[in-house]
Amino acid sequence: MSHVLRTEGLNKRFGGIVVCDDVNLTIAGGEILGLIGPNGAGKTSLFNLISGVLRPDSGTIRLNGKAVNGEPLYRRARLGVARTWQHMLLFRSMTVMENMLVAPRHYPGESILRVTVGRAGVRSAERTARERAHAILDRMALDGTADMPVTDLPFGQQKLIGLARALMNDGPLLLLDEPMAGVEGAAYETMQRVVRQEAESGRAICVVEHNVSFIRDLCSRAVFMINGRILQDGPVEELISSTTLTELYFGA
Amino acid sequence: MLDPIILAQILWTGIATSSPYVLLTAGFALTLKVTGLWNFAQAGLMAIAFYTMFFSLNVLAWPVPVAIGVALVLTGAVALAMEVWGLQVLRARKSGNLTFFIFTLILSEFVIYVITLVFGTEPQTLFKSILSPVAIIGNIAVSDWDKLAVVTAAAGLAALWLFMTRTREGQFLVAVSDNAKLAELYGISAQRAYRVVAVVAALFIVAAMYLVGSHGGIVPNSPMELVLTAVIATLLGGIGRVFAAAAAAVVLALIQSFSILVIASRWQNLLLYGFLFAAILLFPRGVRLPRLRLAMRR
Amino acid sequence: MEYLGTIGILIAIYIILAASYNLVIGYGGLATVAHPIFFAIGAYVSGLLAIHTTLPPPVSVLVGSGCAMLASLLLAASALRVSGDYLLIASLGFQLGLLQLIKNLAFTGGPGGLGGIPATIVGPSRTPVYLAIAVVLAIATVFAIRALVRGPYGRAITAMRDEELAFSALGRNAMSMKLVIFAIGCGIAGIAGGIYTFYFQYISPDQFEVLQSAAILTMVVLGGMGTAFGPVVGAVLLLAIPQAITFLQLPPSIMAPMQGIIFTLLVLVFLFLRPAGILGDTGRRRRSAGLT
Repeated sequence: MSHVLRTEGLNKRFGGIVVCDDVNLTIAGGEILGLIGPNGAGKTSLFNLISGVLRPDSGTIRLNGKAVNGEPLYRRARLGVARTWQHMLLFRSMTVMENMLVAPRHYPGESILRVTVGRAGVRSAERTARERAHAILDRMALDGTADMPVTDLPFGQQKLIGLARALMNDGPLLLLDEPMAGVEGAAYETMQRVVRQEAESGRAICVVEHNVSFIRDLCSRAVFMINGRILQDGPVEELISSTTLTELYFGA
Repeated sequence: MLDPIILAQILWTGIATSSPYVLLTAGFALTLKVTGLWNFAQAGLMAIAFYTMFFSLNVLAWPVPVAIGVALVLTGAVALAMEVWGLQVLRARKSGNLTFFIFTLILSEFVIYVITLVFGTEPQTLFKSILSPVAIIGNIAVSDWDKLAVVTAAAGLAALWLFMTRTREGQFLVAVSDNAKLAELYGISAQRAYRVVAVVAALFIVAAMYLVGSHGGIVPNSPMELVLTAVIATLLGGIGRVFAAAAAAVVLALIQSFSILVIASRWQNLLLYGFLFAAILLFPRGVRLPRLRLAMRR
Repeated sequence: MEYLGTIGILIAIYIILAASYNLVIGYGGLATVAHPIFFAIGAYVSGLLAIHTTLPPPVSVLVGSGCAMLASLLLAASALRVSGDYLLIASLGFQLGLLQLIKNLAFTGGPGGLGGIPATIVGPSRTPVYLAIAVVLAIATVFAIRALVRGPYGRAITAMRDEELAFSALGRNAMSMKLVIFAIGCGIAGIAGGIYTFYFQYISPDQFEVLQSAAILTMVVLGGMGTAFGPVVGAVLLLAIPQAITFLQLPPSIMAPMQGIIFTLLVLVFLFLRPAGILGDTGRRRRSAGLT
């Protein structure tokens, strides 16, 4: 089976602190992988290494077989690594739609040349992006919020916008950093449904989440990390029922 | 040309001349280290310190210790007031760096304009005569001013070092400069640390301005240039390393002094800025010692 | 009339400067103080070209602007590699260093300034023609920048200023955007320098000191940082106020510091009482553009 993401012997340390210790991880298209472990286990750091926020000390990151180690953050996004953030990092002075519109893999408004000279092309690309944004918001029942400032939305909906913005990137890999933290009710249901739909459409998805029932409902496979190392990689039920891991998790 | 006595003379005079800059740089770099702020308002404080002493000595004809005392109180008070009613407000507002830059620079300019209005733009010195008695020690001319300057700078640095390493208050400063939020968790008040730094910097400024003002003429705009020298030394010494910055001030002065031997004097200022350019473009994190040696050998 | 025309040209030039500076710091969020040095580069390069070559003036101005752009790229590329905060201090050093160079070189006229720049237009129509050129360019600059920041490009700039990390992780090249904004802003300042040179026929290094940085910054802050017309308001106000005091007929030794005190007080008052400036929206939505 071909893997969308494969990391080989990934290492990263900050001074004396090891955040990533020989991590070998694979995710296939259509799969939702749960990434669990106590705080400080290196889960977010692993996301940062994969998406390009951090450079690994050694090891390789492959996207669809191609090594992307040397690519900076923005180029990896263009290659198809989409991610969300634990603290959302929405563009606070912009509306929901504006947040969505800067997010496609290729954004014509980034180039001053195209904005000034190739206006027709920019306009049609904007139209396409706007349609795509409406479709995504529609799926989350948030289309009515398109022209509202993002900061006016309740927390759960802001979390959804974080996901919606990442979905503007139609790449093969999606990294979700604690999508459920602080989310409940209707937003919870929506989040679950949309993540599942994305996997069904063939995306490889990796979720960092402390909410065990969310992991159990969505993932078939999970990885348990501690001290930057992968301790166990296997079926979710096996990991969750393991007393050793539970003890490690709660630091008993 | 390379007479050892001449070289020794240049070395000594260079070190003496650099003394006030060392003090100013130490105060500036300490402020930067603890508060994270490039405090250009120190130029304003320098102006206040100098003109307070000038006014006390020449208009009111007070004795020197009183004049220095008044300058200490006034400069310290303005530094504290600026901290409490200015910087603290901006910090609470989570202001950006540019805001702090504008505030500190404009405040300095404001002080300088007011002083220009009161005292005019004529160069002024603290004493009628800036000639200082000279003694010949081992073939080298050493003036009283030289001795006073070197002793003051050395004592200032030593006191600062003892303060930072041996007193609780000083260690609190280090803790706050490392991580203000963490320090607060341990019950160390960052605000208190900032005030302490403001006062310490004011002390250094008064000492330095006494030296500068008893050695040459000062115009209201001179402090701007003094603070820029401190900026350059701090950049070269490496941000956050107070004593390295002070050392950089000495090295800069020495390089300028020795350069008389090889280049025309009008290029000397340019040399200073040449180092600044190099620091900005090549060593943005400060010149580490091995590199400095390399640079000097050339 | 001649006098008013000259004031008008000066105001137009400062509108161009303030507007382009606003693009860099207000919209781009790039904290630099070195804007006057790019004004200086444009002025000196076009002035020198006018003296030593027979290039048509518009070409000289464009070459000057190009040089300002190149210099700005050199500064930004090395400083931004370290951090955005570092740019502030690096730009200050850059400005001081380059000024020192200008003061010490022979062919720039040294500290005495560069004079003898040939008059390109002579006769009574000289000032009106320059006024027309300057005003048209000022209007063009303000509206071009406004158009730029309103469209998709401006949206990207806002997003970058709001959350640079998230912005980059969406596939946007923040570094190249910053460099482009910086280069455009500084290039425009270079054009302003060229016009200045050709009209006044004399430039001196003192005009581009840190005090000038504070003055242009003041115009932007006073008018409203990150607003399209704020810099215009700021430039007009700050250049008009000293003219108003001129009528008080104070001796110059009092006049100059008085004007300085008025400027600095205005800035301090605005900094604390109305950080968003005259035209700035104090509301929550555009707050990140202001001087909070």
